[in-house]
Order: sequence, then structure tokens, then C-alpha cells
Amino acid sequence: MTLRESVFDALVEVRVNRARTLLQTLGVILGVASLVAVQGMSDAGRRQGVKFFSEFGGLKKVLVLNKPLKERVQTATMLASHGLDWGDVEALRREVPMATQVDPIAEEMLNIRTPTYQKLREVTGATPDYQAVYKFFPARGRFLIDDDLASMSRVVVLGDSAARLYFGNEDPLGKTLYLGDAGFRVVGVLRRKEFYFNEGDRNALEWMNRLTIIPITALYSRFTGDPDKKVSYINVVVDKVENNKKAVDAIRKVLDRRHKGVRDFEVIDRKERMKQQQQQGQIFDIIFMATGIVSLLVGGIVIMNIMMASLRERIREVGVRKAIGARGLDVALQFLVESVLVTSIGGLIGLPIGVLFANGITALIGQPAVITPQMALVSVIASVAVGLVFGLYPAVKAARLSPVEALRYE
Amino acid sequence: MEPVIRLNDVHKTYDAGDSAVHALRGVSLEIAAGESLAIIGPSGSGKSTLMHIIGCLDVPSSGDYHLAGTPVATLGSRALAKVRNQRIGFVFQSYNLLPKASLLRNVELPMLYGGVGRLERRERAREALRKVGLLERAAHLPSQLSGGQRQRVAIARALVNNPSIVLADEPTGNLDTQTGKDILALFDELGRQGHTIILVTHDPVVAERASRIVRIVDGQIAADGASAVAH
Repeated sequence: MTLRESVFDALVEVRVNRARTLLQTLGVILGVASLVAVQGMSDAGRRQGVKFFSEFGGLKKVLVLNKPLKERVQTATMLASHGLDWGDVEALRREVPMATQVDPIAEEMLNIRTPTYQKLREVTGATPDYQAVYKFFPARGRFLIDDDLASMSRVVVLGDSAARLYFGNEDPLGKTLYLGDAGFRVVGVLRRKEFYFNEGDRNALEWMNRLTIIPITALYSRFTGDPDKKVSYINVVVDKVENNKKAVDAIRKVLDRRHKGVRDFEVIDRKERMKQQQQQGQIFDIIFMATGIVSLLVGGIVIMNIMMASLRERIREVGVRKAIGARGLDVALQFLVESVLVTSIGGLIGLPIGVLFANGITALIGQPAVITPQMALVSVIASVAVGLVFGLYPAVKAARLSPVEALRYE
Repeated sequence: MEPVIRLNDVHKTYDAGDSAVHALRGVSLEIAAGESLAIIGPSGSGKSTLMHIIGCLDVPSSGDYHLAGTPVATLGSRALAKVRNQRIGFVFQSYNLLPKASLLRNVELPMLYGGVGRLERRERAREALRKVGLLERAAHLPSQLSGGQRQRVAIARALVNNPSIVLADEPTGNLDTQTGKDILALFDELGRQGHTIILVTHDPVVAERASRIVRIVDGQIAADGASAVAH
């Protein structure tokens, strides 16, 4: 008997026993739904992560920052090394071919003053590249320009919250902000940055809204008085994500040479970082997956049970089929196809339910889950596997029935 | 000419708990092609066991069985399934139609296991149903038919692979006299067409229609001869 005809017979069985089929599929429905939900949530979580990181440089970014040495007893080379500086930036620009941008940032605590405000706060020294890396564009006025950098202009660009902090509801454009003793002209106010991982959470990007940004050259000349021009951190933008690892290695090589082997810096690959973050969320995935697998197992046992009961009802039928020429294989196939059909129906129902689950949970994140090919694959594989594994015993049992005893069975 | 069925000193023993049951105790029997034979005997005499062995549903405990010259003992389960499918047609007392399948599907079943293609299968099943006068009910379920009609479907199913041997176990046992007569007339017709017909019955009236009657008592052949009614 062909597979197609077995499917036909199985369809008849399923149609005649609708209520029984529904009971059989429940476990599989729940199991597949759980597995699909896991898939959907980790998917939504990943997209959420990508979106968050793209707000400040995306995945093609490698961050280089200062790392204080932990050794209590330091060698002379260690003491001589003073962290990242302008020379490092220029070396990286020259020697890391896959870097499309090497953007240094220096930070300094300064006394910030307006007629109505005074406080010691951090000031950021940046380059015009900064706005491209962080997708940080002016709402009003302008960002820093190359000319500001070249002439060490006393201009300042403010984040939205910082502008409010310093000037209240007044228009800050053109006004003067005192940093230490020097007056800086406000030339731009930046667009607000907002990102919420969960509804009702605090704004994960609020730190950007609180920035006070001046040309890095102005910071050096007026405040640090440092001939080495120390840098707080360097954003290196890589040409493509696949090159991140190579870039990290190249950066380490350059800096190791320049710092004479002293590891007073750290190189962080954005892509690796995101992977780590995802791993933190995996405990939920594992719980859901375990639930799914347990449901599938229970569902499989239910199916096996009902198949055994159905076999007892149909022993005579098996006898008749054997009397008119069915081989053991034909009979086994018939029962196996039936159980796989039942679990496949369960998988089909479980798929959209799983997506609903995932949606319900990810709605809190604000990222809708969608049916992906991976989910469909998960549900198909899981349901067919359960059908095969738990259908096997009843199928073999049916195939081995002796025709005479089966025909005699009342 | 080699007889189509040749049994030589066939024994069949069942293991029934502590004691063994001797269903057949040394049956030797030859049946020629085209013969019409009735096996009669009281219940428990072993006539059903004999039929199962002839039909390759069961194997002897000892003794030989040759079917068309082939020793059945040498056949594996796949080969036996093929023999049942191609050379033997079964008709049962309780019809044994598949209750959830249409009449057409029921009649198609032996061809499904015989690997007959879909179009030919459909065609031959319809033809078989037409021969027993039930073509117009092909899409019905067995439960929608009377007993006599069901048995006619079962006969159509038994014949659809054109087997040389038709085995019938009390085919009229569940039918009223007139319907039974109609069914037996069908078997007579099959006999005229050259099928070897073996009827198992306890009803002497049914047995009388066969050209040869074998009486089984206590697992042994008590009598073997021409029937009183000549054809």
C-alpha cells in the first residue's frame, strides 16, 4: 500500500474520531506552542538588541577604552604607560585598514555655570564624527564641524535634558555657557534620544540627552593642558560586521606595541557584547523549552495510549487487512501515518498559539513576534518526531498480530 | 495434474494454557483446480483451523501443505501475504468489511495491497461491484446495507484480484434462507467460471450444493465423497 493511501485511511480515522483526535493533539499543541514561543521571544529579543545598539553605532563598532591596572606592584613600564592618547588614535587611523572611522572621545569634570545654574559636571570632548556614530543629530542649530575642531572654537552642543538643566525653558541657542572660566557659545541642541526595553522602564538612552559636548581640541587646549592629549575612549567603526574580530586583533596589536605590552586598555567587540547579553536572557528560554519538551512527552504518551486503545478496537480490522494481503509493514505504516497525522495537526494548531504566547510576552517589550521559517520548522520537526516515536510501539504491535487470532478477536 | 491444494498428514496444536489443544490430527487432502468442496463438521471439529491453514493465515504444526506445487512452509511472511492477496479470496460469516470505508474502498483494498494503480483499481472495483449488483451504492458505508448486500460486497472484494481459490467460512450463517440461497447461487456461478471454491459450513443444505463434501470430526477427516446432489 502506498503512503498516499495510508494517509487517506488515516484521514478517515481522524475524521470519524474528531473528539478523540482533539484529545490526542492537546499535549502536542501545548508543546509546540511553548517551543514556538521560545523561538519567537528570543527572536524578538535579538531584534530589540540590534535596534538598541544601532542607536549608538550599531554592531559594526569596536570600543576601545582605558582600563586601570589591577597589579598592586607595578613595573616601570606600567608606571610609564598612561592609557589611551591622541597618538594611539592616529596610529589606529593609519594601521587598521578595516576601520572606516576612528573617533576619540575625552571626558573632563568641569565647573559648569550659567546665570541660574552651577555644578561640577562631566564635559565631553568630541569630533564631528561623533554624530554619525551615535546617530545624534541637532534638533536646532548645528553639531560640531571640522572648522570647530581646527580652530579649537569655544562652541558647545547640548543634549536635550542638559539644555533644560542649564537654561530652563529659555532658548539656549547663542547663549553663553561657562565651563570653568571660559565662555562657550551654544550652537546646537540635539534631538532627544529615547529607548525603552520594557514599557514603563526608564529611558535607556537618557545619558545621551544629558551630554555637554565641545570640540575635543578645545578641551585639550583649555582644560587638560596635557601634551599627550589623553583620550577616555575610542569608537572604531568597522567596514562590515564580519570584520569585527579582525579589527579587534589589529587594534590590540597596534596598542600593545605602543603601550609596550601594558594592558591598560580594553577592546570590546559590540557583536560579542550583544551575544553575552542574549545569554543572560537564556534562562527564560530554557524554562519555556523544558515546558515545551515535557508537554510534548506527555502528549506523546497520551497519543500512544489512545493508539493502543484504538488498536484494541481495530484488531479485527487488522486481521481482515492481513487476510486480504496486507504485509506487516503495510499495517505498521498505517498506524504510524495515523499518529504522525494526529501530531502534525497538533503542530499546525500549536504554531499560531505559540506565536500568540510570544506576542503576549513580547508586547511588554514593544516588539511584535512574527512567524518565522525557523518557528515553522521547529513545530514541524517537533510534532512529526513525537508522532514517529510514540506511534512506533502501537504500529509494531499491530504489525505483529497473528492474522488468525486477530480475526477471531471479538 | 498436480492438485491445487495438497495436505499431507497435517497436524495443528494450540497451546491453551496448561494443556495443548489438538485442532487437527493428521489431515491429508487433495483438492483439484476448479473443484467445489464443502468442509462440514460440528463446531470445535477443526474445520475453521483447516480453512485457516488452507488460506495461509496459519501454518501447520507438522505435516506438509503444498499450494499449487509450492511447499507453503518455505514461504516467509511477505510471500504468504502475497499469496493471500493474489491467489486466495476470503469470505467470512460476519462479512468483515471495514466499517469506516465506502463499499468502493472496501473492494479496492486487496488491490491497494497488490500495488494496482489508481485508475485500474477504481475501474476493477466498480466492475466487481457491478457484478454483485451494488454499483449504484459504491459510495455508501457498509452500515447502510442489509446483511445479504454486505456479503455480496465481501464477495466482490474476495474476487477483485481474480484469485484461483475462494475460501468461504459460513458465508450464509448470518443470513435468512432466501438471501443465503442468492449468495450460494453466486458461489455456484464462480465455480462455473473455474474458481476453486471451498465452503466451510455446518449446514448440510449448504454443503449439498458442493460437488464434494469433506466431513471433519475431532480434527480428522471422517468422510470424503461426492455430495448427494449431483450438478
